[in-house]
Amino acid sequence: MTGRIAAFRADLASARGIPWVAPAIGLLAALSIYPLVFSVKVSLTAQAGGFSFEHYIRLLTDKFFLISVWQTALYSFFALSIEFLLGLSLALLVDSLARGRAIFRAGLLVPMLLPPVVAAVAWRLIYNPQFGVLNGMLRMAGFDTSHLTWTSGEGAAMFSVILVDIWEWTPFLFLLLSAGLQAIPQEPIEAARIDGASRWQILWDVILPLLKPTIALALLLRAMDLMRIFDQIFILTQGGPGFATETVSLYIYRTAFRFYNFGYAAAMSFVGLALTTVFARGLLRFMRVQ
Amino acid sequence: MGVDRVTGRLHSKIVRTLFVAFILIASACSLVSCGKSGNSLVIAVNAGVEGSALKAAAQQWAEQKGIRAEVVELPYANLFEKELLDLTSHTGAYDVVMLDDPWFPRLAEHLEVLPKEPDGDFVKPALDVCRLPYKTGAYRALPYVGNSQVFFYRGDLFEKYKMGKPDTWQHVLEAAKKIGAGEKMYGYVMRAAPGNAVVADFMPLLWAFGGEMFDAAEMPALTKPEAIEALKFMIELGKYAPPGYTGFNADEVAAHLLQSTAVMSINWPAWIAAMDNPAKSNVVGKVEFAVMPSAKAPGVGELGSWLVAVPAGGKNKAAAFEFIHWATDPERQKEAAMRGNPPTRKSVFERQDLREKYRSYPVQLKSLEGSRPRPRTAQWNEIENAFGIYLSQANSGSLTPEEAMQKAEAEIRQILARGR
Repeated sequence: MTGRIAAFRADLASARGIPWVAPAIGLLAALSIYPLVFSVKVSLTAQAGGFSFEHYIRLLTDKFFLISVWQTALYSFFALSIEFLLGLSLALLVDSLARGRAIFRAGLLVPMLLPPVVAAVAWRLIYNPQFGVLNGMLRMAGFDTSHLTWTSGEGAAMFSVILVDIWEWTPFLFLLLSAGLQAIPQEPIEAARIDGASRWQILWDVILPLLKPTIALALLLRAMDLMRIFDQIFILTQGGPGFATETVSLYIYRTAFRFYNFGYAAAMSFVGLALTTVFARGLLRFMRVQ
Repeated sequence: MGVDRVTGRLHSKIVRTLFVAFILIASACSLVSCGKSGNSLVIAVNAGVEGSALKAAAQQWAEQKGIRAEVVELPYANLFEKELLDLTSHTGAYDVVMLDDPWFPRLAEHLEVLPKEPDGDFVKPALDVCRLPYKTGAYRALPYVGNSQVFFYRGDLFEKYKMGKPDTWQHVLEAAKKIGAGEKMYGYVMRAAPGNAVVADFMPLLWAFGGEMFDAAEMPALTKPEAIEALKFMIELGKYAPPGYTGFNADEVAAHLLQSTAVMSINWPAWIAAMDNPAKSNVVGKVEFAVMPSAKAPGVGELGSWLVAVPAGGKNKAAAFEFIHWATDPERQKEAAMRGNPPTRKSVFERQDLREKYRSYPVQLKSLEGSRPRPRTAQWNEIENAFGIYLSQANSGSLTPEEAMQKAEAEIRQILARGR
């Protein structure tokens, strides 16, 4: 009996906390849980009303969606690979400097500090075939730029938008990897050096394995960001020329806010979410990181 | 135990205080919002030259009436999104909305019918797009900015090469070749970025070559020979355009004219003033304006009017209607014209003082009177997007004109089928 009373009192004591956490729970429910549940419902509602999988079925045959998925994957793969290699190289380089690390770090971070929209507008001007600084400099160097259009050819446009991403977001990977390098204990590196390991062996067999959790985290964060790329492409090419740089996010935006088809846009968002989750799990598994 | 009781009392006191504070804040908020809806007018306008005249008019009206006018300026794409969400969910966030005429079929059913019919001074094509159904139904908006495409060309160079006037598209092509080669300039410059840009520059060609977007049964008619011929002609013109024109919007087109690197283009009247502005232009007094060139059919410019309307969910409809009628009366249209807005009233276009200020007014009026709107369908945004992708691909050379039109037609059929 005494035990029951004690348990009841404990329950009562914990229940007293409910009013204090209720606003936070209410806010979470209103801003996160309810919209999520509502968008699931919207994605499963036919245009004519009623429960239906029609939006998900349409996804399988919508070539614009399938192309945008492929292009998003392509964009993410190339941007992520190059950003990672550059970020790691820069982090190793700056880490090896005896002096001036802080200056290099601050300088390298500048592109990342710009809002993506500002960076995209600046690059749109830089890429302008006639009046842009890029072609202007190439002309000064004696190159014929009359057909160098950067964002207007179908192949060149994808290359150009990836280049802007690399310019802006390599510093992010540099920052994370640089922090990771600083956290590595020096003893294993010193031991390897005493044992006669070459620089390459130290990097490959000691530094990279120790850096693996940071690499996994950096790749994961950047990959998730890349898979929902929107702002830079919207400003630089609007998905064009034709459909050459259209990504999933851009197509979802158009479908929801230009074509007023929220159900189909919600279905695309959930498929996008599923693909991102599968990719993230795959990456973590590949890197054998918990 | 005693401590528990004290803590409990304190706890319930705090909860009670928080609850009372919440009620007080909520009541204050509702009182503020009640006050707002009675004595103010919230107006959503386009952030640009078209919107700034309406913004000034709203402030003038508010001063006269002694109320508060809250103008919400939004960029073009955001304006549509906000209006779409507000109008379809009847939130009543805006009392007056400014809308581009292609948006009207999508938004019209959520707009209030005008309590009194507009007078006959408005230019007819600009007024027809304010009706649901098109041309015949009730008026649900008033035309505020009389935009229709105008043909820009270098009058000095046409004279130098004795090319007459660009009255037919064949003539335009010949002039692009001859003047472009002679002056080492681009003979023609056009917008071919996917979506609205490329479709807007293609429509005058399609109509001039005798093509139509939809046939009598309201099915796409883009694989007809006239439509394919129009696209072939567009690609031919593209040979004399600056490289990269498949990514151009109106600003790049205007930049080429202003920098004197291109001879001709289609553009909107908003760019006319810049041509004669020495701070922006290298071609002051050299650019002439004309109505669209013809081919098999007379030349027709695309209509791009801005309208003002009252949302059905608006909280202050009587004042909103009073404002939109006042803002579109001849005197206010004249004031808006002085700020750079093309009017929608014939009497304002014909005013001598305005004609002295704007030499392009006779051409603008003629273009507006003969203009055609984009097809009146609620699915126009989606159709324009799909059509624009294939037109852009044809211009960049990745599809032949025939392939582009076949693909566009198939896609538009699917869009129409989904909407039925």
